[in-house]
Amino acid sequence: MGRELAIAVGIAVGGFVLARTIPEFRAQEWTQWVVYGLLALSFTFIWGHAGIFSFGQAAFFGVGGYTYAVVGINLIGSTGETISAIVAGVVVASLLAAAVGYFLFYGEVGEVELAIITLATSLVLLTVMSSTAGPQYRIGDAQLGGYNGMVGVPPLSYGFQDGIPMPVGIADMLAVFIALSAFVVAALRLLLHRPFGRIVLALRENELRTQLLGYDTRRYKLAVFVIGGAIAGLAGAGYAAWGTFINPTVFALTQAALVAIWVLVGGRRSLAGAFVGVVVIQALTSTLGGTGSTATPIVLGTVLIAVVLLLPGGIVPAFRAGLLRLVPRLASKPAALPAATVAAGGSLPMGERGGRRRPGGALSSEGLRKAFGGLTAVDGVSAQFSERGVHALIGPNGAGKSTFFNLLVGRYRPTTGRVRLGAEDITSRRMDQRAMRGIGIKLQVASIYADLPALENLWLAAYAEDRDVRSADRRALAVLDWLGLRDRAHTAAGELSHGEQQWLEIGMVVAAQPDVILLDEPTAGMTREETARTADLVRVLGEHASVVVVEHDMDFVRRLESPVTMFHEGKVFAEGSIDALRSDDRVLDVYLGRRSVAGAR
Amino acid sequence: MEADAIANLALGILSGVATLVIISLGLAVVFGMMGIINFAHGEFLMLGAFGTLTGVRAGLPLGVSMALAALGVGAFGLLVERLLIHRLYGRLEATMLATFGLSLILVQVAVLIWGTSTQGVPTPLDSFTIGRYSISEYRIAMIVAAVALLVLVWWTFTRTRFGVMARAATQNRDMASAVGINAGRINMGTFAFGAALAGAGGALLAPVVAVAPSMGGTYIARAFMTVVVGGPGVVSGTAAASGLLGSVQRVVSDLSTAFVGTAALLVVAIVLLRVMPTGISGRKRWPL
Repeated sequence: MGRELAIAVGIAVGGFVLARTIPEFRAQEWTQWVVYGLLALSFTFIWGHAGIFSFGQAAFFGVGGYTYAVVGINLIGSTGETISAIVAGVVVASLLAAAVGYFLFYGEVGEVELAIITLATSLVLLTVMSSTAGPQYRIGDAQLGGYNGMVGVPPLSYGFQDGIPMPVGIADMLAVFIALSAFVVAALRLLLHRPFGRIVLALRENELRTQLLGYDTRRYKLAVFVIGGAIAGLAGAGYAAWGTFINPTVFALTQAALVAIWVLVGGRRSLAGAFVGVVVIQALTSTLGGTGSTATPIVLGTVLIAVVLLLPGGIVPAFRAGLLRLVPRLASKPAALPAATVAAGGSLPMGERGGRRRPGGALSSEGLRKAFGGLTAVDGVSAQFSERGVHALIGPNGAGKSTFFNLLVGRYRPTTGRVRLGAEDITSRRMDQRAMRGIGIKLQVASIYADLPALENLWLAAYAEDRDVRSADRRALAVLDWLGLRDRAHTAAGELSHGEQQWLEIGMVVAAQPDVILLDEPTAGMTREETARTADLVRVLGEHASVVVVEHDMDFVRRLESPVTMFHEGKVFAEGSIDALRSDDRVLDVYLGRRSVAGAR
Repeated sequence: MEADAIANLALGILSGVATLVIISLGLAVVFGMMGIINFAHGEFLMLGAFGTLTGVRAGLPLGVSMALAALGVGAFGLLVERLLIHRLYGRLEATMLATFGLSLILVQVAVLIWGTSTQGVPTPLDSFTIGRYSISEYRIAMIVAAVALLVLVWWTFTRTRFGVMARAATQNRDMASAVGINAGRINMGTFAFGAALAGAGGALLAPVVAVAPSMGGTYIARAFMTVVVGGPGVVSGTAAASGLLGSVQRVVSDLSTAFVGTAALLVVAIVLLRVMPTGISGRKRWPL
């Protein structure tokens, strides 16, 4: 924390000195760049770090600017300052972001819909603000001015001096905004290293897994969106204070496009890159003769297309990667891990269960049915699993086993029927709520955070359980050792072997210490030896929790020595021990396709 | 309210709905069939309008000019798909950004060719009166044209070989490839068809609006909202969303002012998406 703040203070001091040594017209230009940099930063944060692709930053920027203008014009006469107007700009922009964000994230709309609605918000504001030319459109003393915009906006001022409002000189304004930007960047950096930021990165990587671990991703996305709106609002207020005017073009398509271009050029993941992107593009456009010149939109459009096609990671990061190849010493190294406390494959690192709400009790379903259009994938399944021990589910492909699992964890809503955990009806609970009640799942296709280190994958699972950083650190490491993956701690999970990825996902389930563990084909793609190890592991898990396993591998199921339920065409077809089922003619008919059941219907 | 006022209001709502269908159908085809959004859609409308204008200035009959403009924009769409969209399949954000860049370029190129001043095509047909109100026959023609375009899209996707293959590819790309449908071809055709519909939309608007390089921006927000509210069902979604949003906009505009009507559109769209995130047709599982 100290380091980030020290850098911010250093930049602020440097900015203060710099602002006083450059000519006024430079300070004028650079202030605008810094303000735009803040705007770009807001988009880098929500898109690059949280994966929310929104065109709404221009809208929040413009709203921040208009609010500053309205509040500033009304208050400057009585208070002599515009700090309150800046604050108002930030607040109103955040409120708008919260309102729009609530509907988009809690409605769980898709990526395209989100991009479109945010852009439409900006364009509707353009239409609305352009139509306020008449004298009736005024707020207090502030005339909204329609297409021509608002004039007479007060510059940044601190208060009265000898009875008149004292505006801040341009050099000081540049210094103030450089300092503000440095502190906002430092604050975002710190935020990204806190659990909140780590969860945000996780939901960008794999939202489904994040929900299955027990995080309410809608809340995190809304929080990120509001923070982004606040920063854009700050930039907008700064823009109005810098130019002492504001007009509806801040809501225009060109502005929305500029934000995207700055961030693409600076690299969508790099917070400081946002400012570099602004400087590169703004210097380029002012060389071309400003945004008003005919060539500028063509050049901007071409840059946008070229970057997307040729350098999707951004220009600055590409440059940086090249530099790191030339001078490898510059790359940062991960911190060393504490000594191992758990032996690989030793006793299960479960037991000290944290404080989340656990109703306890066994998982059961009652008349569970799921229809997709005309196809009924699960057709009235009532099942009861014991509180401890292993239970196997078998059945041919398409029997409805995976759909059944998805209904149990809340990924699908049943058409009819109920899911219960102990006495509690959890049918209408979301995935994250079920996870917090102690249900963990390993999906058929390993669902992990491919770009995050293996240890971070486990940490995210462990942290979901008791929301305690130290305890999560400890348990994540313990599970890592238990999996025997210590030397892969800092390897991106996506680079692990197929079997290791399956194990990692099982480790994530274990790290979250659930009471109910659902494993969907845990041995898919594993070698014989790995399969045998997994069977032993599942039996150990069964001593601590209720484990339900979907498997096709009959030798594996036999090794589990568990009760078996067989699904066929969405229904429970047979129940009993594996040997009993193996000697059941009807079961063999289904598996071998003798006297096809479909034909007998 | 008297009978003539009611008739006038009803016609007003119908023509508001028809305008939404006309400006959003091309976008809806590309979104519903390919799952991508063409941010340069507004500029495709603009090109259709300028194409018509150019045809009329060259002495061609209006109908012929409109048809040629639609075909021309369709051909341009084919080119855009080959040069740009086709390299970006599977990269949703990249597609949006690239078409956004294309939109900036097209506006400026149009400025260089046709200048910034607004131009117009004379409104064809006469007007008639209902009670105290004078009603332009072209407004009626636009309502008819909107219905005709919806029927054309419905016919194309249910009755032609291309349309049935395109729907197959939408439902299950791998399966479609396995039975020998060339998905690349289908995408090319679908995008060009969407572009041609956008061109036709611009052509139909040309006689009643100010034709200018920046005109795309005037319609794009409404077209976007109609498409996301409608959802993936091209015909049913566009018709339902246009009907709903067009009525809301018209009624609110009449009670207040035009820009409040546009704002109401946004509020309705956002609130609706909260309830049905995949749009009306997505919620109802309407296939087309």
